[in-house]
Amino acid sequence: MSTYLNTRVSLFSSRLWQEEDFSALLETGHAEIAGVLAERGLPQLAAGFDSLDNRSLEQRIISQLLDETTVLIRPLAGSERNFLLYWTERFEIGNLKTLLRGKMTGERPAVLLTRLTPMGAFGRLDIQDLAHAEDVGELLRRLETSPYAEVVRPARRAFEESHDPFILDAALDRSYYEGLEHRAQPLEHAAGTSFRNLMGSLIDRINLVWLLRYRFNYNLPPAQVYFLLVASRYSLPSSQLRKLAALGSQREVLSALPESLRGLLDGVNEIPEVFARMEHSTVDSARKVLHAGAPAISRAFAYLILREHDLRAIRAVLRGRLLGLPAADIHMAMFHSGAGLT
Amino acid sequence: MFRAEPLVKIRLHMLASEAADAALELARFGIYSPAQHASEQLSENPAAAYRETWMEAESRTSKLVERCGGLSRLTVPEGAEAPTLVDLEELNVWLKEVWNTCLAAYEGEVRIEEEIRHLDALQDTLGRLEHLNVDLAHLLRPDGLLAVNIGSLPAASVKRMGEALSMTGYVIYNFDTISDQVYAVIAGPRDRHDEVRGLLSQAGWRELPVPPELRTHPRTARAWLTEERKRVEEKNIAECAILDSLRGKYRAGLDEARLRVELGRPLAEAAVLGVRGRGALASLAGWIPRRHADELKEKLEHRFHGHYWLDVEEANKHEAATIPSLVHYPAWLTPFVPLVRSYGVPRYGEFDPTLPFAFTYLLLFGAMFGDVGHGAVIAFLAILFSGRLGRVAWLGIAAGAVSMLFGMFYGSVFGFEDVIQPVWISPMHDPIRMLSVAMVFGVGFIVLTLLVNAGNRLASGRVTEALFDSGGLAGLAFYIGATGGVASLAGASTLALPFWPLALAGIVTVAIYKWVETDAGFGERALVTTIETMETGINLFANTLSFVRVAAFSLNHVALALAVFTIANGLDATGHWLTILLGNVVIIVLEGGIVAIQALRLMYYEGFSRFFSGDGSEFVPLKLMDAK
Repeated sequence: MSTYLNTRVSLFSSRLWQEEDFSALLETGHAEIAGVLAERGLPQLAAGFDSLDNRSLEQRIISQLLDETTVLIRPLAGSERNFLLYWTERFEIGNLKTLLRGKMTGERPAVLLTRLTPMGAFGRLDIQDLAHAEDVGELLRRLETSPYAEVVRPARRAFEESHDPFILDAALDRSYYEGLEHRAQPLEHAAGTSFRNLMGSLIDRINLVWLLRYRFNYNLPPAQVYFLLVASRYSLPSSQLRKLAALGSQREVLSALPESLRGLLDGVNEIPEVFARMEHSTVDSARKVLHAGAPAISRAFAYLILREHDLRAIRAVLRGRLLGLPAADIHMAMFHSGAGLT
Repeated sequence: MFRAEPLVKIRLHMLASEAADAALELARFGIYSPAQHASEQLSENPAAAYRETWMEAESRTSKLVERCGGLSRLTVPEGAEAPTLVDLEELNVWLKEVWNTCLAAYEGEVRIEEEIRHLDALQDTLGRLEHLNVDLAHLLRPDGLLAVNIGSLPAASVKRMGEALSMTGYVIYNFDTISDQVYAVIAGPRDRHDEVRGLLSQAGWRELPVPPELRTHPRTARAWLTEERKRVEEKNIAECAILDSLRGKYRAGLDEARLRVELGRPLAEAAVLGVRGRGALASLAGWIPRRHADELKEKLEHRFHGHYWLDVEEANKHEAATIPSLVHYPAWLTPFVPLVRSYGVPRYGEFDPTLPFAFTYLLLFGAMFGDVGHGAVIAFLAILFSGRLGRVAWLGIAAGAVSMLFGMFYGSVFGFEDVIQPVWISPMHDPIRMLSVAMVFGVGFIVLTLLVNAGNRLASGRVTEALFDSGGLAGLAFYIGATGGVASLAGASTLALPFWPLALAGIVTVAIYKWVETDAGFGERALVTTIETMETGINLFANTLSFVRVAAFSLNHVALALAVFTIANGLDATGHWLTILLGNVVIIVLEGGIVAIQALRLMYYEGFSRFFSGDGSEFVPLKLMDAK
């Protein structure tokens, strides 16, 4: 089965975009864009690419990713299948947050339903039922009997005590990524360094960006910041995160990072730049894994990371064009800022 | 019985203000299934707001009915009219008001339950803190340098909480665990308590308030707890009385709301697919059986006196995938329908396999579980419990009867092989013949499924698939050629030469077809063609071998009986007959169950998967429900 998956990933990887593809898309005439997207295996984006509705574009990107994940998980079983399925659950967690925010602002169920991303066969929530909950409390109680109970339970408890939407979001995110790490653990033993590198790159980025944001943008106390981070066993283990959270300034935090991360973030001053550099590093790791003789599950995970990155970049190009930004500016923003796509 | 009833597509045009009544009339008619409305001119969905409002009303009514309970059976009066959008909006406002009132009362009840749990927890806490020999009054002194919190948090958060607290000079001490909650004391310097407050919220920390009454001598605290419990119980009785009075107050209104929601259901449900419109015009689209078209016209005329327009159109073969299937079955066949439906619904125009399924399933069951005695027990139990089992009892009776029939063929009664002479064959004495018969049956079965599949494809206009695909005539040619070739190699010399060329021609045709049909680059095309062509051969071979299990289970039946007899023969008279009795019970329950599943598996995977797409949709008519 790993041969089949490897072949599938190799075939899929030919769909990934290079810098020149993005440049070509920038230069393509408006009338030809749909054709170019369809030709590159993105029929979902081709239809209605010129819609100003950003949400609908996002929904179609997710739909494309789910379609490709369906193909990749077909030969998988056990922990490998569980991991990739859980990876798609991020999108449903997004729906869950939309539902919660909708209930907080008293949105009508019908409006709320249109804002949710269709999850197709991956959907595990009864969204019709949930959208008709009367308030956040009822919604959270219902979610506790859903497959997301594990993620929602700590969030509900925290929210009930504080009624703070930020706490709810942060608790959901933390629970989700801890679940991801938990599911990755058996694969790290089986698939080895390549898989561990990808996970490490992902979790380290999340932890560092959250740490900086919570500590220096939201001014939360160190202990609370530490509690909000994902318990990690990669370059930034829990003991290190505790030390970093206790530091008094962003500069001190960045200087106290381990050598590998310090080199990567050399000269960076702003949190968005930290995010962009680290995302760039994740993409680089994913490319190496994809083109090296890594185990099939590592290559599949790397492909999904790269594909999502590509699709979001395509969305950026399309949005930039729709907003009437000059092609040179879009190109500059994509390839010569810290968020370089190559 | 073999195919779905011919349907016609209808489009009923009327004033938008009468759409709800029209949908209600169609629901009363009982055989109208809404369908996608494809009209480009009618671009609006005039029932969208109606559906949205109805769904809110329905959701609230359901919740209220669930909470209130004890409501009377709902009966929809003959001449009742559907509510308008304004009616539904008014109803919604009233329902929201009632829901909020009921919710307040219900939450009062929940609060009391929580108070009781809280008192239980306090009592437990007090008991535990007593053992710790801690003076609570001293520990919780508000003016000390030490800030102390007593409370609970999820067990999963304790470790991380401890690590986070250590950053602020605080310590955590767990003193009890109930379910997934850990009760703990958190203590640290009061001047850093602000740093800890956010952390406590984040961790879902729930403060356990220790009232002044508890900050005293344990005996006094216990007396307070008893008093408090008495007070909560009195409060509980009062809350129950409030809930009862609310039920009485709103019962009539709620019955009326249920009726209105029911009357509004047809348009709300039809709105999902079949209602379009423009301006003051609305149009409902859907399917009805062709033979009822005139009857529908009469009913509409009687109700709307010419203020409508009805288009009736024959079903188009090319849209078979979207047309629902309405199949009528004789009563004796209905117990088999859920077994077929659990695999899938036949497409419109597709061969419905329920009748052959019933016969083949029973045949396979009997062949694998042939025993006069065991069959009689199954049939007897099915008759005995027919009141409870309903129509499913017929399935048990038929399976028992077929098992008895094969029991006579095999000469087996409760596993005894020497009570009656086999009419046909004793599996244990001639296993090779049994295996050969099973294989020949399998080959015949697969040939039949391939033919049915080709017929289905032809009926739905997919001629090339019917001719060249692995499940069509090319696949059939390969299969007949390959099985004939293998049979000749096995010694059936009369079947010799032409089979291998036939097999080759068949598989090459399949491969060419796969190549042409695959829409991808060269690499992917080659991969798909190779794998799918190989899969054709491997699957057909594996599927044929699968039928060996029919013979294997008939042998298994005898072998199990022999095992029972061997154990029984080693015991005295009582033990002997007791073992035979219990052994037979085990055979009926365990082996009977396994055989029932195996027969189903053979039907699904070796049969249905070959010819039955099962991707049709049920004809689901709009109906009014007389619900409790």
